[in-house]
Order: sequence, then C-alpha cells, then structure tokens
Amino acid sequence: MSTLGNAINASASALAAERQRIEVAVSNLANAESTRGPDGQVYKRRDVVLASEPTDTFDLALSRANATGVRVAAVLEDDSAPRRRFEPGHPDADAEGYVALPNVDSAEEMVDMLSASRAYQANLTAINMIRDLVQRALDLGRL
Amino acid sequence: MNDLTDAAVVNALRRQMTVAAAKQVVASGNLANVNTPGFKAKEFEFSDALTKQLAGGPGLAVTSAKHISGAGDLSLARTKEAEGLPERRDGNTVQIDRELLSMSAAAGEFARAQTALAAKFRLVRYAINEGR
Repeated sequence: MSTLGNAINASASALAAERQRIEVAVSNLANAESTRGPDGQVYKRRDVVLASEPTDTFDLALSRANATGVRVAAVLEDDSAPRRRFEPGHPDADAEGYVALPNVDSAEEMVDMLSASRAYQANLTAINMIRDLVQRALDLGRL
Repeated sequence: MNDLTDAAVVNALRRQMTVAAAKQVVASGNLANVNTPGFKAKEFEFSDALTKQLAGGPGLAVTSAKHISGAGDLSLARTKEAEGLPERRDGNTVQIDRELLSMSAAAGEFARAQTALAAKFRLVRYAINEGR
C-alpha cells in the first residue's frame, strides 16, 4: 500500500544521496592540489552515480502509485588526464619538471554542489509538506 | 430525506484526501530523483482513477443500497510518465518548481477535505451529545 510513510522514505533517501554528492564535491575541492593520494598517486576527482529505486516493490509490481526513492549506485573515479604544471622544484615533479595535479575543475565542483544543495532543500520542503499532511490527518482524531 | 447521505459525504471527502495523498507521494518520488540521470517524471493518473471510482472499482461488492462500498482505496491510484516535459541533457524530466507546486496544490486539497470532514464529524458529535 502506497503511503505517506513511503513518500517520506523516498525524500529521506534523496537527502542522503544529495548529502553524499555534496561530500564528494567538497572532497574533490579540498584535494584540488593534492599531488599524492592514499595510494601515492595523484588524486583523481570522484563522481557520484545516482539510480532510482522503488520504495515499495509490491506496489511497483501492481503498477500502483508509489514513491520512487533514490540511492547512490556507485562513486566512480574520473580517469581523465591530470592537469600538468611546470614546477621543477616540486618534490613530485617528473623528469621534465612537470607536476601532475588532480583533474579537478573547481567551477564544475561548485556547480555540482549548488545543484545538490538545491535538491536537498527541495526534498526537505517536501518532507515538511508531508508532515503537515499527516498532522492534519491526525487532527481529525481530536475534535 | 435528502439522498445525499452522511456516509456519501464522508466517503467523498475521504476519497479526496486519498487522492491528495497519492499526488503528494508521486511528487515526492519525483523530487527525490531530481538528479537521477534518465529518470522520467511520473504523474498521478486522475482520469483513470476517477473512471474506476465511478465504476465502483475493485473494492467491496455492493449488492444492497445499505452496504458501504470500499471506495477511496489508494490501490486504484496508478501513475504514468508525465508527457510533454522538456528533457534535460541527462534524460531527466523532473522540474523542481513543478513538483513543489503540485505538492502545494495537493496539500491545499487535503486541507480543504480535512476541514470539511472535521466539520462533518463535529456535527455528528453534536447529534450524539444531544446538542450539548
């Protein structure tokens, strides 16, 4: 049975997914100049892959109205080539004097972060609206 | 005696609240997927639900006028892909403003029905308490 509880679950799953997008964008920004990652290699920017997921597969099977949630399907590394900067004095410079820097574009990360935070706000608004609905329904019980 | 009975009014209001809740559920599902690539915005199929409600729906069979029909069941509510929405580059058709607007509209609808239902219940209580 499709319920308002499922709707809140769907919105909550979106809050978690958007929060993870913000986290990944922030870690990309923070590591925009990290020439060494945990594996000793230059940091690679990461991307979050979102996939929709029904909150209630029973309703889905009957093609009833149901709320579709979202989940983080994967966090993938961007394998595009690193930026190169000529800096012969740098400890991580190669034989030609170039330092490999992460393939992070700060403008791109900012846009990602903005879209994630807007989506987060919209889902919070949705949760508040559903809560008001439930509250109104409960108000019927105490007249 | 008026043929618009208390039960009919209460049923109609209950249906209205159910439909408003279903719209809310569908819109929140769309909002949750505002950033999911390839996701198509869904829409509550009102005309389909209306036809089924008018036809009696697959609820309880009514063989006598005194029976209470099983109307107002959310299981009648189905969704379809919303048509005519512009597609973003990632294949997604969800628009935040459109979904929030439909949620606001559904909340208003729900509040209206709830207020009317509360008034109806107050009248019933008034009758039960013999006007006290």
